[in-house]
Amino acid sequence: MNIGRRAVIRGGLATTLAGGLPSFGRAQTNIGDQKTFRAVKGTDLRVFDPVWTTANVTGDHGAMIYDTLFGLDASFKPQPQMVGKWGMSDDKKTYTFELRDGLGWHDGKPVTAADCVASIRRWGQVDPGGQALMARTADLSKKDDRTFVIVLKKPFSLVVDVLAKLTTPCCFMMREKDASRPANEQVTANVGSGPFVFNQDLARPGASFTYDRNSRYVPRTEPASGMAGGKIAKVERVVWQIISDPQTAMSALQAGEIDYQERPPLDLVGQLEADPNITVEVLDKGGDDCYLRMNCLQKPFSERKARQAMLYLVDQKAFMKAAFGNPKFYNTTKSLFGNNTLMTNDENTGWFDRAPDLEKAKQLFKESGYNGERVVILQPTNMWSNVPSQYLASQLRKIDVNVDLAPSDWGGVVSRRANRGPVDQGGWSIFISLDSDYSHGDPLATSFLLANGQKAWYGWPQNDEYESLRTSWAEAGSLDERKAIARKMQREWWDFVGAVLLGQVTRPTAHRKTVTGFIGIPEIIPFWNVQKG
Amino acid sequence: MGVYILRRLLSTIAVMAMVGLFIFLLLHISSGDPAAIIAGDAATPQMIAEIHAKLGLDAPLPAQFAHWSMDVLHGDFGTSIFSGRPVLTLLLQRLPPTLSLSALTIVFSIVIAIGLGVAAAWRPGGGIDYFLTGFATLGFSVPVFVIGYFLVYLFAITLHWLPVQGYVPIHNGVLPWFTKLVLPSLTLSTGYIALIARITRGSMLEVLSEDYIRTAAAKGASTTAILLKHALKNAGVPILTIVGIGIAGLIGGVVITETVFDIPGVGRLTVDAINNRDYPIIQGVLIIFSGAYVLINLCVDLAYTLLDPQIRY
Repeated sequence: MNIGRRAVIRGGLATTLAGGLPSFGRAQTNIGDQKTFRAVKGTDLRVFDPVWTTANVTGDHGAMIYDTLFGLDASFKPQPQMVGKWGMSDDKKTYTFELRDGLGWHDGKPVTAADCVASIRRWGQVDPGGQALMARTADLSKKDDRTFVIVLKKPFSLVVDVLAKLTTPCCFMMREKDASRPANEQVTANVGSGPFVFNQDLARPGASFTYDRNSRYVPRTEPASGMAGGKIAKVERVVWQIISDPQTAMSALQAGEIDYQERPPLDLVGQLEADPNITVEVLDKGGDDCYLRMNCLQKPFSERKARQAMLYLVDQKAFMKAAFGNPKFYNTTKSLFGNNTLMTNDENTGWFDRAPDLEKAKQLFKESGYNGERVVILQPTNMWSNVPSQYLASQLRKIDVNVDLAPSDWGGVVSRRANRGPVDQGGWSIFISLDSDYSHGDPLATSFLLANGQKAWYGWPQNDEYESLRTSWAEAGSLDERKAIARKMQREWWDFVGAVLLGQVTRPTAHRKTVTGFIGIPEIIPFWNVQKG
Repeated sequence: MGVYILRRLLSTIAVMAMVGLFIFLLLHISSGDPAAIIAGDAATPQMIAEIHAKLGLDAPLPAQFAHWSMDVLHGDFGTSIFSGRPVLTLLLQRLPPTLSLSALTIVFSIVIAIGLGVAAAWRPGGGIDYFLTGFATLGFSVPVFVIGYFLVYLFAITLHWLPVQGYVPIHNGVLPWFTKLVLPSLTLSTGYIALIARITRGSMLEVLSEDYIRTAAAKGASTTAILLKHALKNAGVPILTIVGIGIAGLIGGVVITETVFDIPGVGRLTVDAINNRDYPIIQGVLIIFSGAYVLINLCVDLAYTLLDPQIRY
């Protein structure tokens, strides 16, 4: 059993030879496969009906296989997409839309006006913008196979903007037989008319989903711009791979096994930036606005002064640093309407210049009649808002607020936040979340911006004056008019404080240098126009 | 023996029933609502309420349990809330990667661990024994994911010998199947190698001090014959026990490894289902695996009789 010198030499030679052997694993990495684009999205695709859910990843899936009547271009102006010609009557109450040539479903049948009418009706049941449109619609019907009309009860200048909106659920066109389903019933057919076809045979839930180029798709002739222009699929196949561990996805990107990672871990971005084969770039320049919602139905945040106190408590830079670490990817924000939207303004933002001011926050809490009521912060331990929730608790303790954290996973948070009751009956006081900066420019369709009490989003803020302004905003006839109303809305909002901003984050994506042609827009990252090599 | 097996099989049903009740209650009293997750973050409470009703999650808990139990008794483990596919179909789809990973891990663990353990026992205090002690300390103390990331960094990113992640079915080629599974299997087997090797060493040391081993050596039996024929077989029962426990424990171990190496197996299916509160999948997987756990233990108990004829049931 003695190991001799010769045995050691033999072992050493064998190890050296093994080291020199060609890599047998590398052949599996598909480096150089120019026709297949492999992407890892930020989250798993669990629901396939982009009208049934507001999940962004389902919106991305929708953008792959479905098409829209209008698309927002890079400067957020709506441009015709499936629509060829359209017009408005002199009284601004009748809109006529004619579909362009060459539109066809993936099953080979042509897209008809009846399909579009059914799709708008279904989407209009669930989307806040769609609901606003349908509430103002007297008639929505087809005129012939390629033409349909929307007849309004009174003029509504946002018709085309609403149809082109980017926030989920988008107004994707589906076959009439799919769109005839109730909006609360999921469409699972995955048959659209978009630039990619969903490959049902290669669908591996939890592992990967495959999309093939739609060879019959007729793109518009204009250059691609946002969701508008020619949607030209430049790769034969897109594979959405589901890699739940971001570190593993990053390693796969570096090894060339995937081409694109939507959400590389921010603390490891430096490692990717140092890799000569990888490009790290922010595609959605607007990024996301982070905020905290307060339960306006229960003490202490049922009191306006307590909500105002939170404006002075928050140190946005400290929150963003706690959440995202790298200052290259975050910023502060003070406008209710985000940093980069047409509605962005600086009305009534004096609090921003003063915050953080803990003394002022403490004083406002006292003025609110705060009497030691327990404040419960929902703390999702598996999300970016985990650390900011803890930081918020420490800030509140500094001003003598009786605060508890309620740790759970994100699933627990989304469940508990629906409870409108007091904290001792399973309710809550504060949770932290984020929306795209872009979405905050649309008070008609964005749940965050509602202040209609029990009908509002979680936190249920109520302010009648603000709501009246929101209605006026929707009915304004021009952009300038809407901008002026937005200032008034913001003045109200920062007075009754429906929610508090924590900052803006612009998370980068990472991709192999050999991949080009990404279109940077909010909410959705399209894969048409992307090419390899 | 027949009566013993029958009694153990009947106890499996009782165990599965208790697991079923426990899992159902645990899931439904814990926080989380699949309807809210399905609806997405920007969904209004009304949207969530509609989905909740559609999924039948607004029915009383006892009614939901009775409904689910009856379905399970009829072999129907339900349908995934998210994908809409039958749980059994999803489980069968995810089983091959997990079985492949487990099988390769077991092979690596047994071959390497028994070899190391026997060698260490033959020369206690020698180089291999010291190596085993050090390896076992690391194997027990370093978390699986750390080992996984280290192996990926070394063999996939730095040396480019092996792929980082993924799984290829064996019918697509044995070599691609093997290369995808080498790193995850080595990662997962580290702890088991440490455990089995230490048990093998201890058990072998005990047997090697017996008189009949000295007799065999005096009769001129070769070292190989003494170690593998005379000693290892008699040291086999504790080794088999620990291998059996290890195989059953693999069910839990694959979860982290499948996540680190992106293997679409049962472990990831279960973790995703837990994150999504996909109750039918969680319940179905756990009840089936609890049955498998009991059956593996039964097989190990029966295997003792092959190694030691004195054991009777």
